[in-house]
Amino acid sequence: MKKMWLIGLNTFRESIRKKMLYIILIFALIVIGASKLFSFLTAEEELKMIKDVSFSAIEFFGALMAIFGSLYAISAEIERRTIYTLLTKPIRRSDFVLGKFFGVSMIVLVNFILMTVFFIGLLLFKKSPPDLQVFKTLLLIFFELILIGGITLALGTFTSDAFNIICSFFLYIVGHLTSYGKELVERTENIIVRGLTDMLYTLVPNYENFNIRDKIVVGLNVSWGYVGYTILYGILYVCIALYVALYFFEKREI
Amino acid sequence: MAIIETKDLTKHYRIGKKKTVIGLEKVNLSVNQGEIFGILGPNGSGKTTCLKLLLGILFPTSGQAYIMEKTPDDINMKQHVGFLPENPYYYDYLTGPELLQFYASLYSLDSQKAKSRIEQLLELVELQNAKRLHLRHYSKGMLERIGLAASLINDPEILIFDEPTTGLDPIGCRDTRNLLLKLKEQGKTILLSSHFLSEVERVCDRIAIFHRGYLLATGTLDGLNKQYQAQNLEDLFVKTICNFDNQVATMTGEGS
Repeated sequence: MKKMWLIGLNTFRESIRKKMLYIILIFALIVIGASKLFSFLTAEEELKMIKDVSFSAIEFFGALMAIFGSLYAISAEIERRTIYTLLTKPIRRSDFVLGKFFGVSMIVLVNFILMTVFFIGLLLFKKSPPDLQVFKTLLLIFFELILIGGITLALGTFTSDAFNIICSFFLYIVGHLTSYGKELVERTENIIVRGLTDMLYTLVPNYENFNIRDKIVVGLNVSWGYVGYTILYGILYVCIALYVALYFFEKREI
Repeated sequence: MAIIETKDLTKHYRIGKKKTVIGLEKVNLSVNQGEIFGILGPNGSGKTTCLKLLLGILFPTSGQAYIMEKTPDDINMKQHVGFLPENPYYYDYLTGPELLQFYASLYSLDSQKAKSRIEQLLELVELQNAKRLHLRHYSKGMLERIGLAASLINDPEILIFDEPTTGLDPIGCRDTRNLLLKLKEQGKTILLSSHFLSEVERVCDRIAIFHRGYLLATGTLDGLNKQYQAQNLEDLFVKTICNFDNQVATMTGEGS
């Protein structure tokens, strides 16, 4: 456990020293820009837009951080051959993979906290303190980001960087569209199309489950039961992703 | 007593679906406690493959490898081993002391012990004046020296060095050679892979010559020189390699 933590910490330190968190500056510019852009609207409408843009930006930039952080977490160690000096130390391969996951999760968490603090600061500035529903939305976005990171890390144990990045973004997009796809396909009679969609719906995590911002922005409430169920759903998928990562990395020759 | 041993150790690399290339073929090697054992061979002869198999970075196609009678996946065994890879790369965003501290913590050294060990090693490899420098600003020779220090952080009983003098200037080479001899005096066992025949000739108790994945000869330098009627290590090296190539050519009809 300690060695896993040490590897995670080193991964996190690398991202800090390599200034990965600069991505937050882009987020800040977009959110500030949005608040200026919508200032002609009524105060209520402006607030809705700020929330909507901020939630989307936190999710998008968080997803970029999760995908690129996980993508390079293992492949960079192999490419620059630092992995030789790690795997010849008294650490298990599982410590390495799980340590990398924790490291990337820490990067995502810090990035997420900084963006959230900025967003909440903006809401307070607009004299609209965030309610519990805002925090529920943020909590689900965070678990979605952890899941995205876990999946990219798992893919990285058995695919090339190029394939991994295509797959990760494909899953990110498809994961947000599966519910719509299923609804559309339910109207079709074609068994093959239905079967394929069912398979895709089961295999690909449904990222849309984590998206409650459309409801929150218009003032609807989402229950804690739904939030809890979705978090469990995310944890289950993360466990599957990590199991896949461990399975392939244990067999991988370097 | 053999502290490092391989039994019919074989590694075949798969190229495509049908073709395989020999990385190592039925290698039986034994390194005794307290000796410096040199592995020699041209590029692609299987030297690094052999070291990687011993350390569990690669998995054998067949055969076994043991260090202190433990298999390469045994993490307790790795507690007693130090490894310096060829052309080592380290985390370039760290300073020398930070890198050594990171590795010390992976060996679970307590912080006081680690601190004094780091000071000691930085002095040994003459990097005490570069403590604040990030590794990305290190020269090739400095990287090699910090690598040496990193391989010694746990005060290992067994050292595995893959081309430790690559990139070093003549003075650096001499210092490394002296360090190897000093480590031997301390009772360490050293498995050394090298291209530099003169270096091997000066420090190794026994040697093994690899070529095309096969172990062609192993023994003391004097013994092998007598056996192959060679004048020196260079002569021995050339003779064993050429004999093997000629035999292969005869068998496959390449020479005709």
